[in-house]
Amino acid sequence: MSTQPAAVIGIGQTKHKKKRDDVSLPGLVREAAQRALDDAELNWTDIDAVVLGKAPDPFEGVMMPELSMADALGANGKPIMRVHTAGSVGGSTALVATHLVQTGVHDRVLTVAYEKQAEGNAQWGLAGGRSGGMGAGGIFAPWMRTYIRRSGAPEDIGWKVAVKDRQNACKNPYAHLHLPDISIEKVKESPMLWDPIHFLESCPSSDGAVAMVLTNEAGAKKAPRKPAWVLGTAMRSELGTFPGRDTVRPRAGVECAHMVYDAAGIKNPREQIDVAELYVPFSWYEPMWLEGHDIAGPGEGWRMVESGETEITGNFPVNASGGVLSSNPIGASGMLRFAEAALQVRGEAGEHQVADAHVGLAQAYGGSAQYFAMWVVGSTLDAVDKKK
Amino acid sequence: MTDAKQDEVDPNAPVAGMDFFMQLEYHELLCPVVREFADALMDKRLIGHRCPQCGLVYSPPRGYCPICVVPTTKADEIELATRGIVTNYTVVTPVQYYGQEETEPFAKVSLQLDGGGNLSLQDLLEVPVEQVHPGMRVEVVWAPDSERKVDDITNRSWGTAEGAIQGWKPTGEPDASPDDYSDKVF
Ligand SMILES: [Zn+2]
Repeated sequence: MSTQPAAVIGIGQTKHKKKRDDVSLPGLVREAAQRALDDAELNWTDIDAVVLGKAPDPFEGVMMPELSMADALGANGKPIMRVHTAGSVGGSTALVATHLVQTGVHDRVLTVAYEKQAEGNAQWGLAGGRSGGMGAGGIFAPWMRTYIRRSGAPEDIGWKVAVKDRQNACKNPYAHLHLPDISIEKVKESPMLWDPIHFLESCPSSDGAVAMVLTNEAGAKKAPRKPAWVLGTAMRSELGTFPGRDTVRPRAGVECAHMVYDAAGIKNPREQIDVAELYVPFSWYEPMWLEGHDIAGPGEGWRMVESGETEITGNFPVNASGGVLSSNPIGASGMLRFAEAALQVRGEAGEHQVADAHVGLAQAYGGSAQYFAMWVVGSTLDAVDKKK
Repeated sequence: MTDAKQDEVDPNAPVAGMDFFMQLEYHELLCPVVREFADALMDKRLIGHRCPQCGLVYSPPRGYCPICVVPTTKADEIELATRGIVTNYTVVTPVQYYGQEETEPFAKVSLQLDGGGNLSLQDLLEVPVEQVHPGMRVEVVWAPDSERKVDDITNRSWGTAEGAIQGWKPTGEPDASPDDYSDKVF
């Protein structure tokens, strides 16, 4: 398959909040999409196709929302499609849009992801509405216990991630949670929801949307602001449950990471990636993914957290935006990682900008950590080569 | 909406939102191998299929091994032990979402059954939540004959066997060695 370069030339997101009762679902996506178009200095008529993503419909109780959103997204007469891969959907959606550009099917694609969780009840949705239901936290908690047991990580690692991401969020005006007074003590003292996950180690439930405009090389050269070039993409999946599954280090996650590194020409991710946005809805997932994607060796992920390496000023900043721990409109959360990585390499991340960020990794996972989507973006097409 | 909540509402205020619960009731026809699993549960037996190629045990049986991509049949059916080791757990503090009846913290455990097969999200009985730990040896507690049901079994079942199995209780034997279960992290 012949491919051509694709780039992000417009990014827009909403202020993520517990409840956006001032807008409808179409109004919410429209808000993010308009901001992405404004950023690219394009009009609705400049867009060739729309790719929309969100998590399960029961989160809002609105079935097939894409039908009623087509008009809000200026899709009349244009191709529109919806993607769904659970929590990773925002990432998968961005990749489908990217592939439409890379293959030359369309020149300018608008991609949007959202969730309006306040209109439903996420806990009900995640737990199936039955008594004794676990929710996502209950499914992941035992795996974190295994990570802790295997790696010998001290118990304060999860608290540290929670504090770091919330402090980063205070620098991001769009983040849902702004908790300037967060502290290790507060995280530790917060109620235990799913042992070992405390309340303050868990993501919030948010309303929010994010959008990007993707285009080809010719389009990127005409863009008013710096593009973020897509240097590699990857998607992988595995079964959610089978005997002998390694839930701490899902094979699909390892393979997805290696596929995206290879695509971008990355030999040493820890050295060659400047900034990473990883899907961390529960604090322990930061060290788990650092190891699960071979950024750190076995037992080294939590050491990167402990030494401060993943802080905004560290050698390997993770979730400078505040991450999923600070804003979680589930369907949008994956695309937010992709958009934030793009913002970083464009140098447009504002107060949470990482210095000299030229190569960014974004990752999203979904289901029982069974769907993975990743991309590597760069400030230039040869951003990785320059690091060799 | 509760009565208490309604009392606080100004009847002349514009309606900004309202609670609306959906319910979708349908019957799912179980595929034949899952039907056999459900029938066995009613008979106080746990069955699975052992893949003829890799030896992994699937319970409920799926009629195939998704890893080897080979079919499994009645010839591959085995009866599983109803005793095993707690390999992993979490203690859940219930959030009072609609439909949740629990009010106190409860444990959910993953089990490695003696001789092969595993079950996740099982209830642990007769043990205070603070004493739950990996390595515990446990045995099944079947629901009484009159209450046993398999309505919760679906073709997407993750092997919870709710309705047929009340939970698992300690056998009183010494804990298993971590070597026996540390790679079983489902
Ligand atoms: Zn097999």
